Amino acid sequence: MAYEEPIRDYDRIVENCTCAFCGCNCDDLTYLIKDEHVVGVRHACRLGASKIMEDMDQRLLVPMIRNEEGNLVETDWDTALDKAAELIAGAVRPVFYGWSETSIETMKQGIKLGESVGAVLDNQATICHGPSLQAVQNSGYPVNTLGEVKNRADMVVYTGSNAMNSHPRHMGRYSAFPRGYFRKRGRFDRTIVTMDPRYTDTAKMSDIWVGFEPNGDYEFYTALRAAIKGKELKQEVISGIPKETVVELAEAMKNTQYGCLFFGLGLTHSLAKQRNIDAGIRLIQDLNKYTKWNLVPMRGHFNVNGFNIFMSFEMGYPYGVDFSRGYPRYMNGETNTIDLLTREEVDVFMVIAADPGAHFPGGANRHLANIPVIQVDIHWGPSTELADIVLPGSFVGVEVAGTSYRMDGVPIYMKKAIDKPETCRDDEWIIKELYDRVQKIKGERIASK
Amino acid sequence: MKTITFNQKKISSIALEFDELIPDEVFNWKKSDFDKYMVPIGNSRFPLSDYFDIEVEGEAESPAQVKMVLNGDLGRVKYIGCKMTDGQIVTNSSVDLHCGAEMSGGSILINGDAESYAGREMTGGELEIMGNVKEFCGASYIGDWRGMTGGIITIHGNAGKQLGECLSGGEIHVKGDCDILAGIHMNKGLIRIDGDVTRSPGGQMLNGDIVINGSVSRFLESFNQDEIVLDPTIAGKSFLGKYVKFTGDIVRNGKGTIWLSAEKNRHLL
Repeated sequence: MAYEEPIRDYDRIVENCTCAFCGCNCDDLTYLIKDEHVVGVRHACRLGASKIMEDMDQRLLVPMIRNEEGNLVETDWDTALDKAAELIAGAVRPVFYGWSETSIETMKQGIKLGESVGAVLDNQATICHGPSLQAVQNSGYPVNTLGEVKNRADMVVYTGSNAMNSHPRHMGRYSAFPRGYFRKRGRFDRTIVTMDPRYTDTAKMSDIWVGFEPNGDYEFYTALRAAIKGKELKQEVISGIPKETVVELAEAMKNTQYGCLFFGLGLTHSLAKQRNIDAGIRLIQDLNKYTKWNLVPMRGHFNVNGFNIFMSFEMGYPYGVDFSRGYPRYMNGETNTIDLLTREEVDVFMVIAADPGAHFPGGANRHLANIPVIQVDIHWGPSTELADIVLPGSFVGVEVAGTSYRMDGVPIYMKKAIDKPETCRDDEWIIKELYDRVQKIKGERIASK
Repeated sequence: MKTITFNQKKISSIALEFDELIPDEVFNWKKSDFDKYMVPIGNSRFPLSDYFDIEVEGEAESPAQVKMVLNGDLGRVKYIGCKMTDGQIVTNSSVDLHCGAEMSGGSILINGDAESYAGREMTGGELEIMGNVKEFCGASYIGDWRGMTGGIITIHGNAGKQLGECLSGGEIHVKGDCDILAGIHMNKGLIRIDGDVTRSPGGQMLNGDIVINGSVSRFLESFNQDEIVLDPTIAGKSFLGKYVKFTGDIVRNGKGTIWLSAEKNRHLL
């Protein structure tokens, strides 16, 4: 890696900013501002810094509507909002998807709009930690905060997660390296374990790597639980791991003072899906008969957890909430975005601060190409190519303030550092404006009847 | 006896919800009532007559005297027979999600496949599926620890993942193969699988019986091998052949039993 000169050419500094990248929500960042642009970021990882500094890269600056020739053409806000409101008001199975890269304040407006038109509100959990949320509903949620891990944990387990790549500051700020109140020597006071079929960068940083075979998660966790309960294991090799290793690991986990298990998509997306998390939660419950253990899901986007917490609080369900019958319903496989799209049920799709074009399976994107798509976002991406109406929003945590929830459920206020581009609008304002215009259209329809 | 025949004339891309069209609700409906009825589709309601031609023959004084016959492509018709307490439903096609969910009586015959959540949380009655069934058949609603508590589900084809999840009573009989985690978190009842099981049946089960006549590719470590029984009687039913009895799941101090065909599962003994 080449040496980079420190940035000295800036007008002002904004301290204690919150990173708007991953679920770590690092709230110790310092932005260096010049000409109302962030030209440097201190303390952030490369992923977070590049997202914050390159806010103008392929930036959506003006509202656009796709014309009859299939090209996106610039338009004014009134025309774009009216057209979007008209589509939403006339939809039979609208889906509003995304929300994980915007503020809770925007979600509040989203619920109001979704409930009024009988839409499905869903977020990225539907393609990432949805199984974790199902397992939490089945087996409970023995969660702790990242601060507790930093100050207390002497054993940290990463499973199905490559934190070194996906959450680069996680180990440095919260789990492996920081000196805590009861862990004065930092890394030397902790045992780090990685359970993952792959020898990842996180595994390389760990003391113990347990490389069980792909899709062997459920059997492995069950064997680990059986060993913790003192059962003599009969199979010589369980999910590719010798039984002696399983027993040694069970003993080590029982003999810690405070442990934390961080789990990622490797667990939620292998064969047994939510049952892997279910087994993980029960493993933690079993371990708490001997010592103190907790778990934390490694959430991806900075506010993906926020949507789930906010929706659970407001509507009783964490994601995939269907208002079509006038009251909230939730059923995996039925009210989730991917299922609705692949079944070709959706007739209007609004994507807010997300990029389904880049992440959804082909079948879902194929249907998106055939229906009206409204995009509320700050950057041009594959979803823009699918969009019929583009409404340029603002960068939460940089250009507008807002609330987000960290992966452990701690709410964090994200402050504003610079002004947004003049032609863009707050996400919250856009959704509120859509709500007002949809209500007006519905009122006119009732009056005309 | 009253026979109500639904002949499909138009297919909707958005699923129709049939939870209001069960014998309990329609036993005293006339054809004109069906013509007036608006069926839920997405966030709106549309005339049922746009999608089905309805024929009504005979009279009924109670749901028990009703037979509903559904013809056409029902792949986008959800909640067929949901919460029904009596009567009979026959579909001559595959059906969408939640067929027979929460039913407490009567019978449903599916002449085709069933999507996920068939017989979810049913408490009584009979659900017979002539084809395959997808995931969570006879299971619980997300977060509940009680799945199906009574009745009988018979599947002539194969069953998907987590069959009988949290099963708390009743019987599920799969005549074909079964995917992973059959009977997970099972509390009571009987699951019979005539074919093979992919892996991990009975995970975290507390009680009840699972009988597998085919082979199990991978079995959980948390079950104890108990004894080998010839021609056992399980949950009041007689089975022919040699079965190995496993008890567990010990990670939950469970007392459930899994009976594996000794002949087909020598690799596990």
